[in-house]
Amino acid sequence: MKNITYILALLVLLVVVSPTHAELYTDGYLQGLFGGQLESDNPTKSDQSVSETRLQLRMESIGDNGEFFSRVDFLYDGLADEDNQYDWEIREAYLKFKLGSKLDFKVGRQILTWGTGDLIFINDVFAKDYRSFFLGRDDQYLKAPQTALRMEYYNSIGAFSFVFAPSFESNRLPTGERLSYYNPFIGSIVGTAMDENFYFNPDEPAKTFGNSEFAARFQKQVGMYSVALYFYKGFYKNPLGLDANTMMPVYPRMELHGASIRGAKFGGIVWLEGGYYNSKDDPDGDNPFMPNSSVSGMVGFERQIATGLTANLQWQADKMMEYDSFVAQQTPGLHYREEVKHLITSRVTKMMVDETVMVSGFVFYSPDEEDLYFRFSTTYNYSDEIRLTVGANVFDGNYANTEFGQFSLNDNIYTKMTYNF
Amino acid sequence: MKQTMKTVLALLLILGISSGYASAQDANELMKKSHLAYFYAGDDGVSDVTMTIVSKKGKERVREFIMIRLDNEEGGDQKYYTYFKKPSDVSRVTFMVHKTSVGNDQRWIYVPSIDLIKPISADDKNSSFVGSDFSYEDVSGRHWTEDNHTLKGEETLDGKTVYVIESIPKEKYKGFSRKVSYIDKESMLPLKEEYYNKKDKLVKEFVAVKIEVVDGITTITTRRMNNIKKGGHTIVDFNKISYNVGVKDEIFTERYLKNPPRKYIKK
Repeated sequence: MKNITYILALLVLLVVVSPTHAELYTDGYLQGLFGGQLESDNPTKSDQSVSETRLQLRMESIGDNGEFFSRVDFLYDGLADEDNQYDWEIREAYLKFKLGSKLDFKVGRQILTWGTGDLIFINDVFAKDYRSFFLGRDDQYLKAPQTALRMEYYNSIGAFSFVFAPSFESNRLPTGERLSYYNPFIGSIVGTAMDENFYFNPDEPAKTFGNSEFAARFQKQVGMYSVALYFYKGFYKNPLGLDANTMMPVYPRMELHGASIRGAKFGGIVWLEGGYYNSKDDPDGDNPFMPNSSVSGMVGFERQIATGLTANLQWQADKMMEYDSFVAQQTPGLHYREEVKHLITSRVTKMMVDETVMVSGFVFYSPDEEDLYFRFSTTYNYSDEIRLTVGANVFDGNYANTEFGQFSLNDNIYTKMTYNF
Repeated sequence: MKQTMKTVLALLLILGISSGYASAQDANELMKKSHLAYFYAGDDGVSDVTMTIVSKKGKERVREFIMIRLDNEEGGDQKYYTYFKKPSDVSRVTFMVHKTSVGNDQRWIYVPSIDLIKPISADDKNSSFVGSDFSYEDVSGRHWTEDNHTLKGEETLDGKTVYVIESIPKEKYKGFSRKVSYIDKESMLPLKEEYYNKKDKLVKEFVAVKIEVVDGITTITTRRMNNIKKGGHTIVDFNKISYNVGVKDEIFTERYLKNPPRKYIKK
């Protein structure tokens, strides 16, 4: 995969840089991130949650007919085995160009985002990196890159976006190495310190044309509101299914239809989003190895409550279809979800000292799953170049098999130093 | 003689009253002219901006951005597009404001590293613009109809004749309780503004440091805001200004927020 993107990046670079007056701009940062585990019984190999030094190089070339942008990370991982300590990743390498006055193209390795939620994603099923998210890497790492073609068509009706990703890109989930997780076969939280076999790395769908991903959005500004319709055809981004033969986790096929509206109201911003997850491998909900279809909706509100102080609140409800057959498939004695699962989140951000200090807290809480995840960070911009961050990730849950409860041994604190150039 | 005195007194009285009335009306008219000269120069404008924020202790932070402005209506709705160049951690971030003379403005930010467009709740126009001593309203202008203005007289400032106008917000406002503007009679640009708080203490002071004629329009090319309350100041330099370049309305949409209009936005 890396080779493909590398070749693509080079090709793209050649195409754009060849015009005579395209100029090349570079910048980036050097960053050290160090974190420690707070729970001594976490079954991961190290007491450290993360220890890495990262160099990000960004390159941009703007030509007359198009633009090229790349963002490449070089990483030294202090917790990896000696042979794997140096790594690199093309986060982005894309070409942007227009055809006529109404068509915009973005081709290559890229980060894709849409939808209205704040860290709640209903219609945005582009790949996420929850490992980075839980370990304290910068916000940009929550989004995992995808190799895709994005085409956007604008006319008087609205904006039409089409995304085609030739090969499926899954979410990056805890593997048991740095972050432990719940294993339903063992019935408890596991990590690689217990057994190397607990390294969680499920097989992805074969890279065939039939397994490519397709996403579309129609968006329109209606008065003060931005209204959007969404469609996605591909797979669940988490391996929610089981292969009945091998009993290994698999990514079931899924189709998504959704809508959202967002705009200024009540002195702040209000958003509403919903989607129907159609589980194509289990349309009737009777297959115990595949997830049932579901309907998910959320409402959110954000406003500035004082100078430099912003707060928001979101409520999400997720209803499982064919719930009765789901219940019938459950193991007695084990916790399982309610038909309607609720999630409440809140973010509070305070900017201080001429916006050089930012204190931020984000909490996810589910009253019926009885679990929570709390993120906290304080960032100090010592200068335009130097930024210092301390933060914490805290998980809790009454059951080991809930979304956040399964990570309850992964509580960690971290510190991060960034030099921007 | 007595009769004459009475007539003179009466005349003086009438003149006094009417001049008082005239001063409020004149002051309003003058503030409108000044506002249009300062915030609505030309029909549109593009410029490179360097903002140097100097703390009380003398530490400097520098923001560089390109700003595109379009006036939809002289003295009314405006649109702003900002492309950040520096510091490097916000480079390529874009920011857009749809400013309305009535009601709240709409603001959006685009963060390219996560491909995220986010509307920003714009309730507080008095909050700091990118951590500087300028508020959002200092950058895009507080509409003259929001304050009551009184012409206090004329003075000489830096060799120029200026109108001295006092402005008091009609509704309670966090930005100031009283503002005194010194407006150049010739260009109608504010050469100095003093912002006073509730206790009538000087908290902020605006100074037009450098004035140049660009494309035939007299423009403040270097502005300075002294933060007297907190200490420190911000200097804003406008470079490469161009007016009436035919900026199109479609630039101020999500499409261009994601894809900076390269016609105006170069490195």
